[in-house]
Amino acid sequence: MAATRRNNPSEKTTSDAQGASSISIQVSQTAPAVPASVIYKLLGFTLAMICIPIGSYFLSVDVFFRGNATYAGALAAIMANVVLFAYIIVAMKEDQTDRLEDEKKRKKAQ
Amino acid sequence: MATLMEGPGSEYTPKFAPFFGMAGIASAMIFGCLGAAYGTAKSGIGIAGVGTYRPDLIMKSLIPVVMSGIIAVYALVIAVLIASDIGPPPQQNYSLFTGFMHLAAGLSVGLAGLAAGYAIGIVGDMGVRSYMQQSRVFVGMVLILIFGEVLGLYGLIVGLILQSKS
Repeated sequence: MAATRRNNPSEKTTSDAQGASSISIQVSQTAPAVPASVIYKLLGFTLAMICIPIGSYFLSVDVFFRGNATYAGALAAIMANVVLFAYIIVAMKEDQTDRLEDEKKRKKAQ
Repeated sequence: MATLMEGPGSEYTPKFAPFFGMAGIASAMIFGCLGAAYGTAKSGIGIAGVGTYRPDLIMKSLIPVVMSGIIAVYALVIAVLIASDIGPPPQQNYSLFTGFMHLAAGLSVGLAGLAAGYAIGIVGDMGVRSYMQQSRVFVGMVLILIFGEVLGLYGLIVGLILQSKS
């Protein structure tokens, strides 16, 4: 019993300290870490990745290729790769815009 | 000879022929999604490790996950193509040759997708972690990921060629 009594206050203080520090970190970091534009981009690419390949297959199999399913399947694979390269380009551009914004902020600060 | 070549249960279109076509569909989806799942999970571990230190890199770190999704799209494409060729016996005489060909198409796409997903998972995990420390790794990481993903594309090309011969 004595041991548990000794341990209890120390545990409380550590948990309080950890809780307080984690709350302060979360409050300071989550706000700028995930801006709304990034979430919209990710949602858009998720939707595109689900809809575009399958949609292009079922749209083109009767309209463009007149029932030739092989060409429609190849088109679906190509459209999936188009989405991938669009994502890579957008991701690289976002890194560049972040860098430019940081440089602008530094110049303003100076 | 004419009686041999017509109807289900004959020499060229035995009753068990659709089994191999169905096995092709199942193997394409099962192995392809195994590879995609491994790639997503392994690179997701790396992204979770990076995100705690550099949350601004998450957008670029998600590239291996997108590529793993494409592996699953390949498997889905070949599965849909094979499934559109298989019909019940009264309308369609499904030959044993077509069944084996569909099995080969499904296995090539599925196992190539498994290999590509495995490569994407490992490269995505370690590449993202080292990109956190050295930003010049990014171009090399994307190139290695593309070469890994092309393995799945080769399987899809062979599968499409096989499937178009029916």
